[in-house]
Amino acid sequence: MRHPQAGAPLSRRRFLGLSAGGALGGAAALSGCAMQVSTGGRSSGETVTMMVKPDDITPELVKQAQKDTGITIIRVDFDITKLIAMLTAGNPPDLVRAVGATDAAYFAARDVMQELDPYFAKSSVLRLDDLDPVNDLWRYDGKTQGKGPRYGMAKDFSQDSMFWYNTSAFDEKGVDYPAELEPITYEEWLDNAGRLVQRSKGQTTVFGGSYNGLTKGTLLASMTAAAGGSLFSDDFSRVDFTTPEARKALGWYIEYCRTKVGPSAIQPDPNGWDGPTYQAGRIAMSNAGYWMGGLINTDRKLAEVSRLAPAPVFEGGPRISSCQGGTGMWMPRKARNKDAAWRIFEWYFGEAPAKSRASGGWGIPTLKSLRSLMPAQEDYQKRVLKVQENELEHFSVVAFSPYTTGDSFEALFNQAAPAAMKGDISVDTLAGRLNSAINEQLKRGKEQVG
Amino acid sequence: MTVDQISSVADRPRSTASAGRGPAADRPRSSMTTRRHRAFYMFTSPWIIGFLLLTIVPMAYALWLSFTTFDGISPNWHYVGLGNYRELLNDSVTWDALRRAGLFAVTSVPLSIVAGLGLAVLVNRPLKARGVFRTLLYLPAVVPPVGAGIAFKNLFDQNAGATNGVLTLFGFDALGWLADPYARYVLIMTVLWGAGNIMIISLAGLQDVPRELHEAARIDGASAWRTFRSITVPLLSPVLLFQTVTGVIASVQTIMPLLLAPIASTAGTTTVPQSNYLYMIHVFAQYFALGRYGYASALLWVLFALILIATGLIFKFTSGVVFYNVDPEAKK
Repeated sequence: MRHPQAGAPLSRRRFLGLSAGGALGGAAALSGCAMQVSTGGRSSGETVTMMVKPDDITPELVKQAQKDTGITIIRVDFDITKLIAMLTAGNPPDLVRAVGATDAAYFAARDVMQELDPYFAKSSVLRLDDLDPVNDLWRYDGKTQGKGPRYGMAKDFSQDSMFWYNTSAFDEKGVDYPAELEPITYEEWLDNAGRLVQRSKGQTTVFGGSYNGLTKGTLLASMTAAAGGSLFSDDFSRVDFTTPEARKALGWYIEYCRTKVGPSAIQPDPNGWDGPTYQAGRIAMSNAGYWMGGLINTDRKLAEVSRLAPAPVFEGGPRISSCQGGTGMWMPRKARNKDAAWRIFEWYFGEAPAKSRASGGWGIPTLKSLRSLMPAQEDYQKRVLKVQENELEHFSVVAFSPYTTGDSFEALFNQAAPAAMKGDISVDTLAGRLNSAINEQLKRGKEQVG
Repeated sequence: MTVDQISSVADRPRSTASAGRGPAADRPRSSMTTRRHRAFYMFTSPWIIGFLLLTIVPMAYALWLSFTTFDGISPNWHYVGLGNYRELLNDSVTWDALRRAGLFAVTSVPLSIVAGLGLAVLVNRPLKARGVFRTLLYLPAVVPPVGAGIAFKNLFDQNAGATNGVLTLFGFDALGWLADPYARYVLIMTVLWGAGNIMIISLAGLQDVPRELHEAARIDGASAWRTFRSITVPLLSPVLLFQTVTGVIASVQTIMPLLLAPIASTAGTTTVPQSNYLYMIHVFAQYFALGRYGYASALLWVLFALILIATGLIFKFTSGVVFYNVDPEAKK
């Protein structure tokens, strides 16, 4: 008979059992961190490891690459933590996806990127004179983004301060459409959003407009430039949100969030991005560039009532329209199969996949020679193309600091800004807090780069 | 039995004893012990190797990182000694996050144990379709946390969630469930939703309670509540202790607030409403959003130490009320 005993110590067997359970749990959790990447050939021909998102290279494209180039692609899902682990272990992928606007200078400054100028110089597929200026986002001279050697290339791009709007929503509320080729001001945009938003019983049934940029860093840098200033200091080691231009940009964005006319950190869109919400007719204006046409054009009815509009301007500010993304790929300096990787790079950016992307309408091709492939069969496609071609004349590169990632900037912004969005602190107080938090991060980043 | 047989049996102990004392007889026993040791290490080696490689080595690596400014990628990191630990002591965000994590643990652990135990008592009764109830109540516990997070996020979304749909149907205004001040309640609901895990363990404990003790109590005229309080709970106390310890550890390590965050991305870590910005969310933000591997590792080591202390305190303060089934004969 077993009797209960108060306060009896754990038996050794019981202790071992509990410990084993705990250790197995820990081991199971940690095993997710372990990874192996083989760059060895599986069969005849060479192998290239690409760290990308599933949509970047579909299984069909992997097969096509094998057919077109004889090179086998091993795809690794993009994950920044995994990438850092692979770089640290000296076993990086051969090609890595990244956002040109925010990542290119960051990685280049840390000396992990392969300079690609010698490869471009020899290439007959990717000729320097055929490269769109957006590819300058992938240049870095040790101080400034947009100058110096090339470290990668964008697969396609958009001018991300532009916006799409649904004419039905404007008609329903009797709001005038924005001019086709001339920009409205940010103030007008916000006013329209306020008139277009539809609410009922504490719920927003139709967002008047969405304006969040690709990242908060690039959004605020672009808007500050549109107000005629610069968010970063000349050496990119500091931000200053208290300058009149940066304060104007910040004030506008906080007002957009505070009035809850669109999705923000204090009023999130459960879809996580505008696409499905716009498709459902629940956003009247959506801040997105040409690329969203790829989604809109899949629904003819929606395409016919949708219009692309120029990037707004600030009263008295210059008309600029930057690219906040420029997503593409780079080659790590320690990549093992550089020549094969470059062949895949050429194929991906200049051959069949590039042509397919260009004709799909999911972005502007980054080779000027492929522009003619952009969709222009239907009236609505012609209309959009006309606006986009006009907007390209105002393209500019807004450089980002190499001392922080876009994610870090955004995380610090997200931490400080909701209080101002809710009206708990003033925009000036927020500007001071952002200066303090982001400059500390930039200082750490500068120390790391040396 | 014949006299001869008796005599031969009587001889046996002597001969055995004699063999046991001699070196020749030691050999088989010693080789048996060696074989047992070998088998022990053979069977436990996968665990020991896994423990060393996947627990001790990463912990040591994290300890080393905690003395550096390493950001995972930059070449010019340097040692800062105890600098990260000093910074941590002066970081009000860290302390606020720790305080919230502690509050979350002392709220969610008792609630989930009470809920799990209550469900276990219910499904331990002779009900019709008892198996179906047990399965249904346990099902949420096997849903992956990511799935649970997405489901709750959609359910409680202000503009499109079913919860607000019901509220507005009855004429109430929609609430911002995923923002302060309601976000903390949604978080606790996710914990209670997964109480099936605790229910299963409690159920196993309940079925181990000797039936005769309950029958004796009933004969003595004890009420159901008195029986539960004086017999069931004491006999379940080791199970409850186990659930408390593992519950506290799990609750301070939860990343569920991330899955409920308004922006589901690395940079969205800091959009977690303040009431749900718990210690592990802060750690996650420092590691992956801000790339501060050194500082985040220091945060984790402090958490490890605090968990050890909390576990020790739980054992200390419950030592007088936890009853273990120990077989006194086994000690002799």
